[in-house]
Amino acid sequence: MLDLYDTALPRVYGYLLSRCGRAALAEDLTAETFLAAVDAAGRDHPPTMTVPWIVGVARHKLVDHWRRQGRDDANMRALVDTAPPPEDPWDAELDLVCAHDTLARLAPHHRAALTLRYLDDLPVKEVAELLDRTVHATEALLVRARIAFRRAYEEVGTRD
Amino acid sequence: MTDPFEALRSPAVGIEAVAIDPDPDFAARLRARIERALDQPGGPPMSEVTFDPDADQGHQPVPELTPPRHGDVGYVSLWVPDVERAAAFFSAVLGWRYAPAGGPRERQVEGTARPHGLWGGQERSTLFLCFAVDDIEAVLERVESGGGRAGRARREPYGVVADCADDQGMPFALVESAGSREPRPAPRPPAAAGTAHGDLAYITMEVVDSGHARTFYGSVLGWRYSPGHAEGGWEVEDVAPMVGMIGGAGTATIVPMYRVDDVAGAVDRVRAAGGTATDPERQPYGVTSSCVDDQGTRFYLGEL
Repeated sequence: MLDLYDTALPRVYGYLLSRCGRAALAEDLTAETFLAAVDAAGRDHPPTMTVPWIVGVARHKLVDHWRRQGRDDANMRALVDTAPPPEDPWDAELDLVCAHDTLARLAPHHRAALTLRYLDDLPVKEVAELLDRTVHATEALLVRARIAFRRAYEEVGTRD
Repeated sequence: MTDPFEALRSPAVGIEAVAIDPDPDFAARLRARIERALDQPGGPPMSEVTFDPDADQGHQPVPELTPPRHGDVGYVSLWVPDVERAAAFFSAVLGWRYAPAGGPRERQVEGTARPHGLWGGQERSTLFLCFAVDDIEAVLERVESGGGRAGRARREPYGVVADCADDQGMPFALVESAGSREPRPAPRPPAAAGTAHGDLAYITMEVVDSGHARTFYGSVLGWRYSPGHAEGGWEVEDVAPMVGMIGGAGTATIVPMYRVDDVAGAVDRVRAAGGTATDPERQPYGVTSSCVDDQGTRFYLGEL
């Protein structure tokens, strides 16, 4: 377990820091991830402890964090919005620094959807499972998240 | 046309490329924590999200408890506006100590008989309940058919959990863990919830419509009720910790009662810490006081 800690720590911390952008939060989530792994190791049927496995645990912790953050966020109401999402074609070259800035400014549920789908490159089905939604609802959420992102991104762009 | 969002997937940020060394002090502290956790037979101290009914809670010796059974309250979290303030207040009044938890808004109380968390950022205070269940999928179906909202069950290292709300919108959670799948043993002593100073002794569910709530939780958890001490109040039969329910609240609120060794002394500490407390009053089951902390959180103290 301590070997895994030494090997996986920079990967887990690096993953969390690059997704949440705040060192203190990344440290909290890193601690939570490894303590969950210790807990899992003590079970009757422990999972195989690999770096990808523990990065997967970290991803769950990150999603839980966003979920908690979103709970008292009025924007969560948008999730039950059942109106058909509008079209969102957008042709732009993203400036990566600007893009990460923009992500950090989005509501937790939009940020979660875009991070899992694009930064983590997960298929929609897996994003849906992590966010505890149907595939259909996740697709709609992604469309709204992209629109929110685009608005915020253009705001960041014009601000400079 | 390429999707501009594809750019986010650049190797510079892709999952394979990221490895960042954290602050060495943090790395060393966490390593020491993991070593300690590995040494503890019961596993690491629990955080808000790592509820484990089998784990030993902390540094104080804790009396042996049977794991929660189906319908029991397996885990609670006191929801408050400001977690720092609540942590300081309850530390002064009940002597609570805390283990680091998942995030800046969370605390895990150490040494209580059942896992107990604190969770900040809430609009108003209430006690959040997580019920132990034997078959979470079956229970989730009953939540839905009872008019509640059932979240999807997700696997965590400590069990399968789901966030739900009852048919009056009050949030709660379910956990299915190894212990709660065991067959129910013989009737247990009524004090099965823990016997130490600072333990949660009794839970009062103040609901809007008591009839609806009794039907809902009866169908979901198999709860049965008998008339309680208070007029219009009901006691849930054979659950741990003990739970009472009363209707007529404007907004549903769950109010904990904490066990104390000396209620008069605890009342003084509540007042000194900026809260309010009624003068201790003798009830058939012990001496109690009704209190409010310095941010509107209601609770009872009981010398039982």
